[in-house]
Amino acid sequence: MISHILKLIWNKKKRNALMVLEIFLAFLVLFCVIAYVIFNLNKTNAPLGFETLDRWSIELDNLDSSDTLALQATIENLESNLLAQEEIEAVSFANFVSPFKNNNWTNGNDDNGFDFFARMVPTDYELANTMGLKLIEGRWFTEDDFNASYEPIVMNKYFMDEYYPNKSMIDSTFIIDGTKKIIGVVEAYKYRGEFSEVSPTIFFLDHKWENHATVLLKMKEGTPTSFEEKLSQIVNTTTKKTGNIIVNLEKERIDQSRESWMLFIALLSVCGFLCINVALGLFGVLWYTINKRKAEIGLRQALGAHSSDISKHFIMEIMILTLLSLLLGVIFAIQVPLLELTEYPKEIFYKAIVYSIAIILTLVFMCALFPSFQAAKITPANSLHED
Amino acid sequence: MIKLNNITKVYRTKTIETTALNEIDLHVPKGEFLSIMGPSGCGKSTLLNIMGLLDEPSGGTIQVDGQTISKYTSKATAQFRNKKLGFIFQSFHLIPDLNVIDNVELPLLYRKISKKDRREMASKALESVGLANRKQHFPNQLSGGQKQRVAIARAIVGNPTIILADEPTGNLDSVMGDEVIEILTKLNKENNTTIVMVTHDERMAMKTDRLIRLYDGSQIA
Repeated sequence: MISHILKLIWNKKKRNALMVLEIFLAFLVLFCVIAYVIFNLNKTNAPLGFETLDRWSIELDNLDSSDTLALQATIENLESNLLAQEEIEAVSFANFVSPFKNNNWTNGNDDNGFDFFARMVPTDYELANTMGLKLIEGRWFTEDDFNASYEPIVMNKYFMDEYYPNKSMIDSTFIIDGTKKIIGVVEAYKYRGEFSEVSPTIFFLDHKWENHATVLLKMKEGTPTSFEEKLSQIVNTTTKKTGNIIVNLEKERIDQSRESWMLFIALLSVCGFLCINVALGLFGVLWYTINKRKAEIGLRQALGAHSSDISKHFIMEIMILTLLSLLLGVIFAIQVPLLELTEYPKEIFYKAIVYSIAIILTLVFMCALFPSFQAAKITPANSLHED
Repeated sequence: MIKLNNITKVYRTKTIETTALNEIDLHVPKGEFLSIMGPSGCGKSTLLNIMGLLDEPSGGTIQVDGQTISKYTSKATAQFRNKKLGFIFQSFHLIPDLNVIDNVELPLLYRKISKKDRREMASKALESVGLANRKQHFPNQLSGGQKQRVAIARAIVGNPTIILADEPTGNLDSVMGDEVIEILTKLNKENNTTIVMVTHDERMAMKTDRLIRLYDGSQIA
């Protein structure tokens, strides 16, 4: 029966071409969207690496850095004024590479026996405590590290997995802008948000007055929003600036996450509409085809086909046509991982191919069911007479 | 062979009731070539459809080889049509997207027969109607007479015991019509195949063993 159906499909290739094209294009669009969504959702599987609950940040108004001593005094004053508040448990100073900022600082070389390219995070020795970074090996910076013979650095786990898999590098030297010493490994630090990509990251110690764009605060559990007003006054008075902005990092995380989800929902909705259109199109084409082929249905029944043979025939015909369209689509789609056309991991594309095939086959099967059952109900006497 | 007892067929709509067949009793013995004549709308095709189990009577019973067909399940009825009956239609009903041999093979698709055997049986059937050289042609490449011969090959490919022909010469000129009747007569004589043919053509009907006439759903001769 399959060879008979293949022959019918082949002999009607011109009439089937549009349907093949429609399924083929639907597959490609679905494949792209699913790959994109999987890629981004996979990012959320990796931990953020820092706490956002009861964490606030202050984006400082541009401080005058022409007088280094004055700046240093202002920063130290600010730190002690902030720590004097019982609502504030810890304070850390950062530059623009800080939570939920879209800034990036990268550096790399091939001096360590391999090529690498990493995100650089200048930090003070309070960041781990303030933001709750999780150390998985070694230790975080201390004040004494300013006097160490080799400048210390801390990597993220991704860096170590990528370049030193299954190997401890604590107390080993590493060349980046001179020789540095690896003192610790943190689990993660996806400072650009939950949907940002995990990248090799290197933390290096800096004086707090070198990084004064952002102040990160660890607040006492349940600190009310009303404290923002007092905080604002303290910061404005200390810095003698009024353009300081206080941000609740938990709220920021939720807002950013919502934005990303909205994009996915929009994409998936477009995809859903596309699938509905394809489904309606297929349904219409099948309905029309079956009406056009009433005489053939009657003939097949007269020649011995049972009504189940008729519905099976039509379902098989559309499913084989769909499989042929999908085969064509897979030939194109598989080139993306095989030729490494993007930086996405290959598995994402294989998954996207499997999911797209499953969705389209299910959709087509559902669309074929009703018209095929209607075809099976056609009575041979009437349909043969109608022709 | 075929025994119709008191067959009636009534079509009902909300407002009208039309009697297409009225208490038809008919016995077609094995090997008979029977023709049915009558004016348009007298119930000839309805009677043939009922004999071919393509339609159900409103009343009465159909017996074939002593077995009452109404007791068959829909699956058994389909199998019965496939193995015992062959159909020939006025408008040929060939599938335009299949070539001649694939059209002839069609009834065998619903049996458990290997592809090789199907090809052999279809080739043999085409040879018997003189179309062995047209196997790969498509229906639109054939004349009316050739199309009908393909339809006859399709009807006989499964070696049925009964052939039901609904105006097989209706769309053909007299020469082609004679050819078709000749083939049917040969099948009847050589294979002892029972043939029931509906026709408008008195000349064709006279070539058969027996002629019955219908008028307004009743048998008048």
